[in-house]
Amino acid sequence: MTTVAIINTIIVWLFIIGGLAFCFSKLGKGGGWED
Amino acid sequence: MEVKRERWSSRSLFIFAAIGSAIGLGNVWRFPYMCYEYGGGAFLFAWIVGLIILGIPWLMMEIGLGKYFQKGAPGVFAGIGKKWEWVGWWPVFVAFLIVSYYTVVMAWSLRYAVDSITMAWGKGAAAAEGAADYFFGNILEVSSGPTELGGQVWLTLLMLAIIWIIMYVVMFKGARVLGKVAFWTVLIPWALLVIIFIRGITLPGAVDGLNYYLSTDFSVLADGGVWFAAFSQVAFSLSVGMAGMYAYGSFMAKKSDVNNNAAIVTFSDSATAFFAGFAVFSVVGFFMNALSISAGEVTASGLGLAFITFPAAISMMPALNGLIGVAFFLCLFFLGIDSAFFLAHGGVAAPLRDKLGWSLKKSTIIVCVAGFLLGMLFTTKAGVYWLDMVDRAVSFYGLLITGIISCLLVGWVFGARKLREYLNETSDFKFGAWWDWVIKLVLPIAMTFVVIYGGFMVDIPNAYEGYQVGPFNGSHILWLILGVTLILSFVLGRMATKAPKEEE
Repeated sequence: MTTVAIINTIIVWLFIIGGLAFCFSKLGKGGGWED
Repeated sequence: MEVKRERWSSRSLFIFAAIGSAIGLGNVWRFPYMCYEYGGGAFLFAWIVGLIILGIPWLMMEIGLGKYFQKGAPGVFAGIGKKWEWVGWWPVFVAFLIVSYYTVVMAWSLRYAVDSITMAWGKGAAAAEGAADYFFGNILEVSSGPTELGGQVWLTLLMLAIIWIIMYVVMFKGARVLGKVAFWTVLIPWALLVIIFIRGITLPGAVDGLNYYLSTDFSVLADGGVWFAAFSQVAFSLSVGMAGMYAYGSFMAKKSDVNNNAAIVTFSDSATAFFAGFAVFSVVGFFMNALSISAGEVTASGLGLAFITFPAAISMMPALNGLIGVAFFLCLFFLGIDSAFFLAHGGVAAPLRDKLGWSLKKSTIIVCVAGFLLGMLFTTKAGVYWLDMVDRAVSFYGLLITGIISCLLVGWVFGARKLREYLNETSDFKFGAWWDWVIKLVLPIAMTFVVIYGGFMVDIPNAYEGYQVGPFNGSHILWLILGVTLILSFVLGRMATKAPKEEE
């Protein structure tokens, strides 16, 4: 893969995984996982 | 006596059901192509901006209003003001029309899954020619135009009947069963995508395909096209503007989180779309390599990608053709079925129950029978023409225009701040005042831009796709579909609401 393609891949996965990690770190702060 | 509303049995099952509704065929056949077509990295940048400032707030708004009013879309807007109830009915018609043809595309997928076992469209290089003929000749048995219906394609009709029976069996038990089914119908397509990706990436030319998918041309950011592509992708992918999210929100308990759920759904949908691009473009790269053709010569989106390019590429693979064929078309089927549940159950059946007082079983059977009967238009030999026109009318114009009106009403009449404060009370994290302005201004402006740039500027000066039905051209048909559904929305909005019966 080209460098540009690799950089794009890393940035987008960082955004998605980072976003999900943030969401899961906040789970339960407002009510709990199983309600 | 107040009737107990159906409920998700747990938060995780709601999340799976909402993710299942969001991930659909577009994740496979729209997102990767848009990324390739609109500058790769530049598109991804605009898409990420769109997800944060449009996608999550819009999803929050729909789920949150459903939870607030404990009603489907029409009940929500009737709650804002009786005169606005029609605003909630319009997306119900959007949902009904979409599910009626979406299930037909799923029926084609099932036929292809069966036909993959023998590679019925040809093997080796011959399949490159044979795949298109097979799709138009054997699967669609396509006629010469929309007015020449030509009778039913019986095998597709049989598959359609099976799909609606499956949908009835899952839907008539309500949200509890729907959530449990969604757990599997979200995980299975992911597993199948992984299998397709692993096979794709081991083929010669796969890396070239990925380079096309992820190349970057930042100069396009100054052009409206990339922003149109990114914003429309966000709107179409998250299943907003189709009434169902209001109902899904209404099945939540009053203390449930909305903000975090909306964000999880958005990121999960994004992950699916981005990963699907790797599976799709590795196979497209192999196909280009095998035929020594350029990316511009390959149909890499929509029906053409799914039912012509992919079958041809699968036939040309050196091994595991049948397995990958079955995996790919079952993947399409499973991607579609959650979205179909969502449209039929949340988008149509729940509002009908709220309005007409029908039981869960009655509303489900009526929606399933009506969806099947309307679907019979799309299983005729002219079905693909009608599918194309109805799709453009409702899943582009209908979805976006109802979205614009909804945001303006919620933002300026109900009060974006009031809704945000309500959502923040029970959510895992809070949104600030910027969210209010997204609902009041940014979303309506962005969606208006998409409607004008990608819609009116194309469809008003030109007859849509050159179709002609009697005195009407393709664009007239689009306006006719929108006009009729709008009038029906007003009629339903004026009708009296009956008290609901016991749900379960």
